[in-house]
Amino acid sequence: MTARPVSWVQPSRRLTGLLLVAVPVLLFAWMTIWPILSGLTTALTPQQADGSRPLSFDNFVTFFSDPYSLANLGITLWTCLITLGLLLVICIPLALYLRFAQGRLATYVQTMAMFPMFVPSIILAFAFIRVLGPNGMADLLLNAVGLPKIRSPYLTPWGPVIGLVWDNIPLTVLILVSGLGAVSNQAVEAARDVGAKPLALFWHIILPRMWTSVAVVVSFTMLGLFASFTLPYVLGPASPEMMGPFMQRTFRDLRNPEMALTQATITMVFCIAFGLFYVRAVARNRGN
Amino acid sequence: MSNLSISNVSKLFSTTLAVDDFSLDVADGELVCLLGPSGSGKSTLLRMVGGFEMPSEGSIRIDGEEVVHLPPEERPTGMVFQSHALWTHMNVFNNLAFGLKLRRLPKAQIREKVEAVLELVGLGGYGTRGVTQLSGGQQQRVALARSLVLEPKILLLDEPFASLDQHLRERLREEVRDIQQRLKITTLFVTHGQDEALSMADRIVVMRDGKTEQIDRPDIVYREPRTPFVAGFIGTMNLIEGVVQNGVFSKAGYSTPVPVADGPAVLAIRPEALELTVAGENAQGHVHRVTDYGTHGLVDLVLLDGTRLKAMVSHPDLFATGQGVSLAPKAIAAYRDNVLIHRVALGKETAALRQLVDA
Repeated sequence: MTARPVSWVQPSRRLTGLLLVAVPVLLFAWMTIWPILSGLTTALTPQQADGSRPLSFDNFVTFFSDPYSLANLGITLWTCLITLGLLLVICIPLALYLRFAQGRLATYVQTMAMFPMFVPSIILAFAFIRVLGPNGMADLLLNAVGLPKIRSPYLTPWGPVIGLVWDNIPLTVLILVSGLGAVSNQAVEAARDVGAKPLALFWHIILPRMWTSVAVVVSFTMLGLFASFTLPYVLGPASPEMMGPFMQRTFRDLRNPEMALTQATITMVFCIAFGLFYVRAVARNRGN
Repeated sequence: MSNLSISNVSKLFSTTLAVDDFSLDVADGELVCLLGPSGSGKSTLLRMVGGFEMPSEGSIRIDGEEVVHLPPEERPTGMVFQSHALWTHMNVFNNLAFGLKLRRLPKAQIREKVEAVLELVGLGGYGTRGVTQLSGGQQQRVALARSLVLEPKILLLDEPFASLDQHLRERLREEVRDIQQRLKITTLFVTHGQDEALSMADRIVVMRDGKTEQIDRPDIVYREPRTPFVAGFIGTMNLIEGVVQNGVFSKAGYSTPVPVADGPAVLAIRPEALELTVAGENAQGHVHRVTDYGTHGLVDLVLLDGTRLKAMVSHPDLFATGQGVSLAPKAIAAYRDNVLIHRVALGKETAALRQLVDA
């Protein structure tokens, strides 16, 4: 008895496989690829007075020659970089503690670190205003002991930074702790055994093993921060403003969808750069 | 000269006593094996010497200097881990050079030392290789070299061959023993493999439930086990539970002279010390199975009450399943309440006495 040729059953199985992936692929094309192409086309074909839409970079020239737009892009990049820096400074020690500490305190710290994940941004924004805003809780407490008021970060560039740092701590800690899972206890003990003190241990043994998760944090956080809206809108200054509120205002208040799409395209280019950084980090990790 | 002195060390994990009042002196250049089943406290003890666990009480001295309060990075010890624990983001050279760089040695000296120790472990020219490109055996040699390159006073080996196959394990343990003897480095070796302990150690410490059962030379631990646990743990041992009455140990038709006070006793006989003779009606047991290993045979036999024993024979073809046999042990030990009460190598005189007993 001879075996049934594999090719007899392959076409139907192949069709089933293709049908299974077709739905998400088509949805992705419809909900993501199509809006991107449509937006890019609109941004690259500005409408002329005669109603024609020739291919032109006029919208991009307008953006990059407008000091206000550049200031908005600048404050967005500044906010993203400062927030990212603060997140790494706060979350790396936190993740190291959660990875290597044992006992009940570590469990409490982990719960506290995850807590912001369950607080909606709008509640966080109002809590921020009630605590750090003018005449907020901090001011009241300082006043009670006869000290002067704080210089409130509310409606300054630091307002969104503080809010975004708080909002992004849980995801950052989760990614870093997961990355630290690649560092075995024995690898750490072996380093201590050959004489590595804590700083050398972190720099030479732990950090190289968690580079991928740091790269993931950098790319994910930057993507999230670039697209952030609520916290910069509620806590940030009116001018300059971050790209999220800027796009919304250009689209809705100024009724200029073409320029809003141009701003979105420029934002997307930055996001693609961080997306590629993420893809490269993941590919490198798989290579290892 | 490097010696290690462990005095009255205990380790309590929450409510579990992992090591209980343990003491041991390891002389300069000596290789001592800590041998015991899982959970006997041997790895905990090694980790306390390496500084990875703090003893609950007791003292650990290296060359007379107390090291209990020193962290691992400040102890003159080098540890080889079971899982190799190599740093995969570094190549072989950098794995070995890391400790030397931390000690701020000149580059030329680091290169010289690393290359010398790579030659020593048989990995000359492997410096530029990534550690993940090496086989398990090569990785374990790198782990050993990483410890040796720092010239520690005490080398600590935590089941270093556990993850290797049998053939590689046998080869590596010979190599490690050669290197240890060449460098005359004081070594504490943890294993649960009796073969490893018997073939490598100058002395063996048999541990059970955090306590010492016996500390002796391998040949003594094997031939003169002090407790039934050691007797059963090292090698294969026939343990027969019976009763001594009027100086005679009896168990289901088998008896032998054991001149101790009356009472229950456990008789221990090695398979190679148990001679069998084919018997007819007076058989003390019968053959259950015969296994021919080529160099020798192993007869699995059953006493009249169903007790199973093993006997090593040089001519397995002389025995067959179901055949009646009589037992003639050449050496026996008897234990009562976990204590050795009698040991004897049965010569011709005692054989004659046994005949009288049997009669």
